[in-house]
Amino acid sequence: MEILRIENLSFSYPLRDTAALSDVSFQVKEGEFILLCGESGCGKTTLLKLIKRELAPQGEKSGAIYYRGVRQDDLDERTSACKIGFVMQNPENQIVTEKVWHELAFGLENMGLQTEKIRRRVGEMASFFGIQNWFRKKTDELSGGQKQILNLAAVMAMQPEILILDEPTSQLDPIAASDFIATISKLNQDMGLTILMTEHRLEEVFPLADRVLVMKKGKVLLFDEPRLVGNKLKNADNGISQGLPSAIRIYQGLNDNMPCPLTVKEGRELLADNYDNRVRRLHRGKKAPADAETAIELRGVWFRYLKESPDIIEDTSLTVKKGELVCLLGGNGSGKTTLLNIIAGANRPYKGRVKIFGKNIRKYKGRELYVNGLTLLPQNPQTVFIKETVRDDYLELSKVLGGDLNALQRRIDQIAELLSISDLLDVHPYDLSGGEQQKAAIGKILLSEPRIILLDEPTKGIDAGYKEQLCSLLKDLQKRGITIMLVSHDIEFCARVADRCGMFFDHTIISFGEPEEFFCNNNFYTTVANRISRAMFDNAITTEDVIELCRENGRRSE
Amino acid sequence: MFHPLVIFSYFVIVLFVTMFTSHPVFLLCSLAGGVAFCGVLSARRQFLSDIGFYIVVFILLSLANPLFSHNGETILFFINDNPVTKEALIYGEFIAVMIIAVIFWCKCLNEVMSTDKTLYLFGRVVPKLSLLLTMALRFIPLFKRQAEKINKSQKTMGFYAADNLPDKVGGAMRIFDSLIGWSIENSLETADSMKARGYGLPERTTFSIFTFRLDDAFMLGLMAIYLLIFIAGKSAGFLSFHFYPTLGRVGITELSAAFYAFMALFMFFPTLIEIKEQIKWKYLESKI
Repeated sequence: MEILRIENLSFSYPLRDTAALSDVSFQVKEGEFILLCGESGCGKTTLLKLIKRELAPQGEKSGAIYYRGVRQDDLDERTSACKIGFVMQNPENQIVTEKVWHELAFGLENMGLQTEKIRRRVGEMASFFGIQNWFRKKTDELSGGQKQILNLAAVMAMQPEILILDEPTSQLDPIAASDFIATISKLNQDMGLTILMTEHRLEEVFPLADRVLVMKKGKVLLFDEPRLVGNKLKNADNGISQGLPSAIRIYQGLNDNMPCPLTVKEGRELLADNYDNRVRRLHRGKKAPADAETAIELRGVWFRYLKESPDIIEDTSLTVKKGELVCLLGGNGSGKTTLLNIIAGANRPYKGRVKIFGKNIRKYKGRELYVNGLTLLPQNPQTVFIKETVRDDYLELSKVLGGDLNALQRRIDQIAELLSISDLLDVHPYDLSGGEQQKAAIGKILLSEPRIILLDEPTKGIDAGYKEQLCSLLKDLQKRGITIMLVSHDIEFCARVADRCGMFFDHTIISFGEPEEFFCNNNFYTTVANRISRAMFDNAITTEDVIELCRENGRRSE
Repeated sequence: MFHPLVIFSYFVIVLFVTMFTSHPVFLLCSLAGGVAFCGVLSARRQFLSDIGFYIVVFILLSLANPLFSHNGETILFFINDNPVTKEALIYGEFIAVMIIAVIFWCKCLNEVMSTDKTLYLFGRVVPKLSLLLTMALRFIPLFKRQAEKINKSQKTMGFYAADNLPDKVGGAMRIFDSLIGWSIENSLETADSMKARGYGLPERTTFSIFTFRLDDAFMLGLMAIYLLIFIAGKSAGFLSFHFYPTLGRVGITELSAAFYAFMALFMFFPTLIEIKEQIKWKYLESKI
């Protein structure tokens, strides 16, 4: 039965020339799992918000939305608020109250239920979502993953019939994200809940969806089953297909007539059934041996925050050559960020040596290390900006860097061009999307003409298209002789950009090497493309590698 | 442990009597009670650093009065031809005592009255106000954490590695500036989340896990008695004290001593209860 119908929906924000949505029509059947995807700014979020009347943005709207055959404008308040659940992107900002139990009850209170009924529903929800153990905690003591599960449970307590999620996992680490997606899938499978969601992490969600709605510039491009979407998107431009699961991208790259695979398992079968593997290795140009001077050197570094707290970093050594791009991977709370702060001089190890360009970090006085030296881009780009517009923020640096204001202005224009953010300079930093914020933040650190850039989780909350841009940007900076080191838990991204990768675990770096060696020696902690091709080929890491090897081998002759 | 109504009434009474009394003995009792309760509630490290901070605040506050007020007869010395008097100095000190006592009691209130309790109390009477209160209370830790984040990220970018005080003050101002923008941005999202979950529907109920017990009634009675004694003591003149033109005297008679002792007992009441609970718990634990 149809639960939601959108008819010729168009929408434009005030004072904008282009429409955010134009002529969107589709229907959702009860119990369906619908995945919405498309590039940043294609109107996904606008569409979702319009479906939830309480969140509908101001602007010019035409067309109609029907919930169970009733026009949205005619829905009574109670149905609209309770039957359509909405979970937003940022786990933190959605929480209203101080205590977990109260957060769960908040919606039910609004509905006007009696204490006994609320108690039962809250208990039910806490048990279903595994919240019992932190039921009485304060909400700000929870981890990001727990917060988002709480937000979901709080919405589900109101027993909605359709659940809308707007990039719910973009702020979570991969493990918390998997948990969250598994919970969503359970709700869909076990409770028959209708789900409408947008997501960056398509790798996991794509196979779960019943149908995928692909949007482009405010229009519906495709609305079909995942397999067919994978097939039809073959010739679409990069922006959309970059985010697709690796199996689909390999399939698209091979461009043969076969059924489209969705998961790693299906991808493996596709390769095994259709391709030869006489050539098992991909020959890559060997990189010139690194005899460049050393940029960062750590020798037996130990660190802890307080005298009585445990060690965060234990006996860690690391050498990064000038012009290298190094990635450190590792789970949450493994100490990656702390290590970056040590290199940036913000944390001081109690044992061991840190040398930057061969000079002990303690010998750098005042701003010497930072002006035309080393800079760290923190995890949350929002914290980088302080002024009203990006340009003001950049200009403010003149106070710190000294020098001529005109020269700085010229430099700002140059950098804006390099990053293609010229049109964003006069916008308020908070009005930028995640990816744009990230770029603007990189622009800010580039102003001091650093020779070393440290990045903390640069891909958090960024969609596939921007990741691609970030990737080429980093490579570009590297060509200019800048040494780059980043920490991340985004395996796929690191595999693409890194010269060398390391894994951080249990307070120290446990393995370190070129991506090829690093990922091929890992069985679990490796890229999806590597997992797909592991049985067939020896050293394929990215989807491009797999495609190239398949081409080289050719199809299996029956 | 007690019903929110009891807790809230207690704090209202304490804050009220502290703010409207300028009697030295009474103010010292209130300060000591507030500090002691805060000490029992918060972690030792945090508490010690708070004490340090408020000693500085105390000195600044108590110095402010004699610099601007030249009332009083006992002149200690002159600054720029202006007399600094003993009376003004002491008055300043007790004003500082009062302000800091109020701050400490508010800290305790914040610790003891979680949002759920506040919402429970006011939810039925003034729904809008209670909402405002909740959001404000939940926001404080968030605000603090964001301030730390911004501060740290500004530092590690290295642009603002400061060596001197003006730089640091300037840096703090800039962070505060950006925090304002951040908070507006984020509270919009919270408001959305509330609306999405039906806030504003008619007939809102209030769910709570609190029950009103016999103990609570007893405590309320006790507080009523206290208020009566307070009023009686005030009209008997036990709480009047003058600083100008010369310092008054604290008259100690049997009756007034009993009165002050009772006032002190009331101020230390929560601390005593808390300590008693902790000891009882240790005892029970040791039996397991």
